[in-house]
Amino acid sequence: MADLSKDELKTLGRAVGIEIEEPLLTEVAYNLNALRDLLEDVNPPGLVQVEPLPIIPPHERSPHEQG
Amino acid sequence: MNKADIPFLSATALGALIRKKELSPLEAAEAYLDRIEAVDGVLHSYITVCREEALQAAREAEQAIVRGDYRGALHGVPVAVKDQFWTKGVRTTGGSRILADFLPNEDATVVARLKQAGAILLGKLNMSEFATGNSVVHPYGMPHNPWDPGRNPGTSSSGSGAATAACLCATSLGEDTGGSIRNPANNCGLVGLRPTWGLVSRYGMLGASWSMDIAGPISRTVEDCAVTLQAIAGHDPRDPYTANRPVPDYRAGLTGQVRGLRIGVVKEAMNADFLHPQVKATVGKAIADLGKLGVSVEEVSIPLLDRAAAVTRAILAVESAAIHHDWLRTRLQDYDHNVQIDFLTGGIMPAQLYYKAQQLRELTRRQVLKALEAMDVLALPSSSEPAALLPTAPGLKSKEKARQRMSGRRSLTGVFNLANVPALSVPCGFAAVEGKDLPIGLQLAGRPFADGLLLKVAHAYEQSTPWHTRRPPI
Repeated sequence: MADLSKDELKTLGRAVGIEIEEPLLTEVAYNLNALRDLLEDVNPPGLVQVEPLPIIPPHERSPHEQG
Repeated sequence: MNKADIPFLSATALGALIRKKELSPLEAAEAYLDRIEAVDGVLHSYITVCREEALQAAREAEQAIVRGDYRGALHGVPVAVKDQFWTKGVRTTGGSRILADFLPNEDATVVARLKQAGAILLGKLNMSEFATGNSVVHPYGMPHNPWDPGRNPGTSSSGSGAATAACLCATSLGEDTGGSIRNPANNCGLVGLRPTWGLVSRYGMLGASWSMDIAGPISRTVEDCAVTLQAIAGHDPRDPYTANRPVPDYRAGLTGQVRGLRIGVVKEAMNADFLHPQVKATVGKAIADLGKLGVSVEEVSIPLLDRAAAVTRAILAVESAAIHHDWLRTRLQDYDHNVQIDFLTGGIMPAQLYYKAQQLRELTRRQVLKALEAMDVLALPSSSEPAALLPTAPGLKSKEKARQRMSGRRSLTGVFNLANVPALSVPCGFAAVEGKDLPIGLQLAGRPFADGLLLKVAHAYEQSTPWHTRRPPI
């Protein structure tokens, strides 16, 4: 996957009301493109079927609870 | 007892002397305040010291105990909390100059509960800006590690680690989003517990990531950790995600009886090529020592462990940026440089990337819970290396540097934040690095709400080893 360009990053910023200027823009580009690469590379079996429910309060009782 | 020796007692030992009226809360508070004044000019572990408030609270505790109104193990015991928790009338900065003048009009639930338990609040502890763990500039002073002032006490609950290790409070609270309790515990030779998400209220806590943040204790002993958790745990109507269930007696569970338990050693952590050799050897010996206590030890697998840092980083960046959205537009320059980079990255991250991170999180959680189906406790290093040198230069020089920072070479904690299970770091030895002894931590993780079991195993290990008796040279 090609890196996002600085112009594209500026546009993404404007879409959410954030102006990103140099010298921060270069470092944001390093950071976001590195993160894209890292996550792009991870594709374990079954990933696309996973429903991302980040919070499921685990209300089941642990067998090791005391009291 | 010599007044200067009081701060070196454990919280529970101090509390026992207070209960027996052999030591007054006022003497204890004065001893800690004197030591803070003498030592903290080097460590910068406190942002705000509440001297007059602490002395007044200590007098009130003394009067209450004399008239028979004893509240429990922390009554009259001096404590301190990360500056991430609201404190009524006491500034709460989040380690940021943006909140330099913020005076909350009420206490965070965890602070209120410590006070209800009779604890004496000594002050507010230094931290990485807004608990991101990545800031270089600390507007209230760079926190230093008591074991070697040239090294990092750990992030983001830096002051909680430094102050507790240096005996500048009897026990403390930190907050853990990606490892911010266990990392300072590892670096400073302490016991730090990230509780099960949902066990402790987040009300009145400055947020970093709503779905991973949780408050927990950083203490010098497991028993101190247990009584501190006891004070803060439990349902809070003001945090709808706290579980409405009874809180066990954690201290009573420290029986030493661990025979027959099954411990799973996470092979992706123990076999990692980036593990410092002294960490690998020391944690390996600690696990073998646990075996001598009668637990069975087997290998388990969490294949996504090495990607947990990147997934954590993606979720944290987006959720932090959402919290800080208005200030990112109006006060960007007031953040630390690295925090600006992280928050801006989160602010513009494509939705599909965040969605994928959440899918990976759920898969990671399943892998952790699957490993815990056959095992009672998981074991691995708390960190891949001992405390690093203090950071000096902010910024990212290349995409590769950014990738290295996020690729999990040092983080072995985030996997349990993604899974929202409890995890604890307990001292298990020292590494000799450049003439200094630096602590190493053994990390234990368990099933949701098995916090008491982690404390039990850590306590049994602690009591069979000498590591908790060593003090930093300060």
